Amino acid sequence: MNRCNDVLIVDDDADMLEVMELVLRDAGYATRAVLNGRQALDAVASGMPRLILLDMLMPVMNGWQFAREFRARYGKEVPIVVATAAEHLRARSDGLDASDVLPKPFEVAELLRVIGRHVPAPRPATPT
Amino acid sequence: MRDRGADVIPGGIDPTVLPDMSRRAHSAHRVALVVTAVFLIAGLAWVFITDVLLYDVSRDRILVARIETAKGWIFIGLASLLLYAVTFRSAARLDRVRRLTVAAIESIGDGVLLLGHDRTVAYANPAAARMLRCPSADLIGMNVADFSRRFRVSYPDGALVPPERYASQRAFDEGGPLQYSAVLHPPGGPELVISATAAGVRMVVGAPAVWVVSVMHDITDTDRLERLRDQFFAAAAHSLKTPVAVIKAEAQLLLPSQSPDDRRRTESIARQCDRIDRLVQNLLVLSRARSRSLELHPSALELRPLIERISSEQVWSYRHDVRAEVTGSPSLKADPERLALAIRNLLYEASRLSPTDSRLTLLARPEGDRIAVGVRYQPLPWRDQVTEVYGEYDDIGIGRSVAQTIVEGHGGSLSDEATDSERTSWIHLPAFEGVHL
Repeated sequence: MNRCNDVLIVDDDADMLEVMELVLRDAGYATRAVLNGRQALDAVASGMPRLILLDMLMPVMNGWQFAREFRARYGKEVPIVVATAAEHLRARSDGLDASDVLPKPFEVAELLRVIGRHVPAPRPATPT
Repeated sequence: MRDRGADVIPGGIDPTVLPDMSRRAHSAHRVALVVTAVFLIAGLAWVFITDVLLYDVSRDRILVARIETAKGWIFIGLASLLLYAVTFRSAARLDRVRRLTVAAIESIGDGVLLLGHDRTVAYANPAAARMLRCPSADLIGMNVADFSRRFRVSYPDGALVPPERYASQRAFDEGGPLQYSAVLHPPGGPELVISATAAGVRMVVGAPAVWVVSVMHDITDTDRLERLRDQFFAAAAHSLKTPVAVIKAEAQLLLPSQSPDDRRRTESIARQCDRIDRLVQNLLVLSRARSRSLELHPSALELRPLIERISSEQVWSYRHDVRAEVTGSPSLKADPERLALAIRNLLYEASRLSPTDSRLTLLARPEGDRIAVGVRYQPLPWRDQVTEVYGEYDDIGIGRSVAQTIVEGHGGSLSDEATDSERTSWIHLPAFEGVHL
């Protein structure tokens, strides 16, 4: 399987995608960004990321559907970090084998801390 | 937090009204005795007076015998007239009451079932027939087993209500009135959400009921509206959180390159983002609590990381010096998201009611079989007046109400402790046990 050394960001809000890409790229991560679970499955098929940063409430294919499909096809090797505004995200992410949960709105430093727990930052994050 | 069982309605009919019914029965007995006594005395007087008069005016035995016979017939005639008048009046009054009662029950929009001492349906009003999609005549004589087979009754969570748990059955043996919410599934019709209430009719206090009146109040529309409101709040909360998250993240990205003045402004933007986020969460919890659909997802929780995380939010959320003081390793079973919201609400309240740049201390410690979480602050001299102004619908009032709802939902309590110079809002929660949903 083709592997990409990047973080795949899945969120239906273009501004949210942009700001998360900006933060992660500043910290030295390579990123790819897609708008829903269906596009995320296509992106994974073309190259396996090191981590998936996943929103839950999305059109076309939501986070739960994507995670189920992804785990069924590729197992549990790649960590999924759930970043969502949905309620009870910790309880509801239990069935997804999510590695971490990040409630929105989040601190930039918290985003980097959570991602860094699973994929160490290529360079230290800019202090904010 | 839904209640699955039938409960006695708080503030319902007091059983002490039953002696009043007994007094009415005594009163009817006394009236009957008085009428009988009057009839007896009048009859005796009639016989005695007419006999004395008769023997005074005539010694003719044949004439006296004929007059005695006539007297007897007159007495029977008068007694029959009196009996007719009394019976007619009583029957007319009973008939009027019966017609009034039937008209009242038949005009009620709620379904009413009357169960006799054999626990079968003796009467069903038109609303009951309409709700159950079944002619009244088919309901008459139906017992609880037949009823449960024909009309599936479930709790709001989908579990079937066992027939013996129906309020109408329990009301025969228990005090009341009894009430619970249930979902009714009439055959061939849409399901109905009902509030079922039942009360027994007892002739003597403490005796088993001889009749039970069961009322089904249709709350389907109210329930649907509450669900819609919940969905709206949940959608609004989600929709608001994403733009708030973007604004806050963008503001934080701007900080490193800014002058001190611009930095203060940007921090203010981030603080207000947190305030909007907390307000949205509070409104969501408040809405859920009002519709009794608030869910808590308790899990084993170490308090130290949670307390430290909340206190570290000070840079963005508060202009105060926020410190954490955690004693030991307090742990409990709680919903981490909801508990964090309750603590943030109290911290925000403290920040509003204390001088800017003063210290806010977030405390956590085990206290016997409880865990105490406190927010200590130096109150403003005019704190009490400030609290009055904020009132119930300011975000401080909402925050306090939400904190209380969450804490009580975990089986805990919220209290305040004050000294001359400090004030502490305390959350007390059971350690590991006592989580009530």
